[in-house]
Amino acid sequence: MMSEKYLNRGWGAAVALFVLFLPVIIPEIKVHLAIEILIFALFAISFNLVLGSLGMLPFGFAAFFGMGAYIAALMFNHIPGTPLAVILLAGAVSGLISAIFVGFFCVRLGGTYFALLTLAFQMFFFAVAMKWREVTNGDDGMGVIRPELYFPGLGKLSLMNINNLYYVTLFFVVLGILAAYLFSKTPLGNSATSMRENDERASFLGYNVFLTKLTVFSFAGLIAGLAGGLYVLFQEFVATTAIDASMSFTIVIMAIIGGTGRFFGPILGVIFFMIFQDWISDLTDNWWFFLGIVFIAVVLFLEGGLISLINLDRVRLWLSRQES
Amino acid sequence: MAILKVEKVFKDFSGLQVLLDVNLEVVEGERHAIIGPNGAGKSTLFNLITGYYKPSQGRIFFNGRDITKRPIHKIARMGLSRSFQIINNFPMMTVYKNVRNAIISKFNRRFNWFSFLDRSEEIRRESDKILELIGMTDVRDVLASELSYGRQRQLELALTQARDPVLMMLDEPTAGLDVEETREFIQLIKQVTEGKTLVVVEHDMDVVFGLADRITVLNYGEILVTGTPDEIRDNEEVKKAYLGRK
Repeated sequence: MMSEKYLNRGWGAAVALFVLFLPVIIPEIKVHLAIEILIFALFAISFNLVLGSLGMLPFGFAAFFGMGAYIAALMFNHIPGTPLAVILLAGAVSGLISAIFVGFFCVRLGGTYFALLTLAFQMFFFAVAMKWREVTNGDDGMGVIRPELYFPGLGKLSLMNINNLYYVTLFFVVLGILAAYLFSKTPLGNSATSMRENDERASFLGYNVFLTKLTVFSFAGLIAGLAGGLYVLFQEFVATTAIDASMSFTIVIMAIIGGTGRFFGPILGVIFFMIFQDWISDLTDNWWFFLGIVFIAVVLFLEGGLISLINLDRVRLWLSRQES
Repeated sequence: MAILKVEKVFKDFSGLQVLLDVNLEVVEGERHAIIGPNGAGKSTLFNLITGYYKPSQGRIFFNGRDITKRPIHKIARMGLSRSFQIINNFPMMTVYKNVRNAIISKFNRRFNWFSFLDRSEEIRRESDKILELIGMTDVRDVLASELSYGRQRQLELALTQARDPVLMMLDEPTAGLDVEETREFIQLIKQVTEGKTLVVVEHDMDVVFGLADRITVLNYGEILVTGTPDEIRDNEEVKKAYLGRK
């Protein structure tokens, strides 16, 4: 048991050191990729609160990511001087509110109906972003200027510097992932898992199935909205691609490749997806084809996703032998 | 005092009359069995009382309060808990976590998100106490889906018992068990329901007559008779219902 504790701490420390010093190790152009991975990692974690914990597959999850992105972009442009944290918070809250609205109609349904109704709502959001040109600028999208960060007594920090942007993004992503992780350890997090396992039995034990599902779904919307805000900050731009069906499907594929059964699985999927895409799109325009092959291979031959390859049991066994 | 009162209840499923003017009273502290041939409406009655179905007509009272239109989870929180005829647990959770789900609900921590579950000594102690009572400590950390059928039946009982309900309703608790297992299971049920009110639906007559203080016989959606085991045994109408009219 002791060794397991040290093993987990060792892993944690190694990963923490790696992400902290990453911009120093890799070339500047790759820092852009790293930031994108961070943002999608947060998005994937929020997505998996619904797929992994609640056991419900939302096909239109980009609705909340896109909502956060649009609200953040509008605030950047129309309310200049708003502190970055406030803008990101507004993005997150808009994700929360839209998820409460969508969830109210969707979480009662199961299986395919749930998946498709969330997709329908996402397409509705997409249509609004597309047609309401006065506000959203339609498919031309909106440009955004990254603000400077002011630290009282320390001066200001330009986010045009990519390393600074990396660390600011890292801060908010870690905050979001930590919130989701701690959530999974609470009684409410356990209630969510019980919904996945057997919601009928849970209701006969006194669980309000609808309210539990709606709460978890909305919380996931909050985190997705935060990721959307960070996405705008990074891209300096928002367009309908942030809220379209392709974005919804991308997050499904990322999460499933990584593995939805364990908390950190989807992050692994995001890392793989992004690096693979970065590498193979240099070689061919048909990179979706190859990604499709990978997806099929994972679904057919690697139940549990990439994370199931990381099997710590063997390491634990070795450690326990060393102890005895 | 009647803890459960079913008053003039009718139920039809798109034209098919399943229950016709059912009246039933369950007195506090008694063990009440509901029996009847296949298709008599036992399970439907069960599902109406526990909120899974809503009656077409009539009312149901629990502890003096009208629960006819209440949702399932509210009825459960009032202290009415049920088991299922088919295995119905949390398959990919351990036995301990299955029971813990019920205990969390008992302590009303379902929506708590400012504490860590693993650090709650109170919930751990209470869950282990239930496992001890039901005799499942030896399989505490086994996944529910990996238990043998008999042990899953036992877990079903644990889940029903864990909230410390006022009224326990068991739907064919011994279904699928062999003679020996059934005998042991009846002992267990007797032991853990000591002092509680129990309603049980059962096919096995040995179980019914070994367990019940009073028996209600249901036939074609109507109540034939309610009485003590001896009264039921000697009742001509009951004999007819079970053996057919000759």
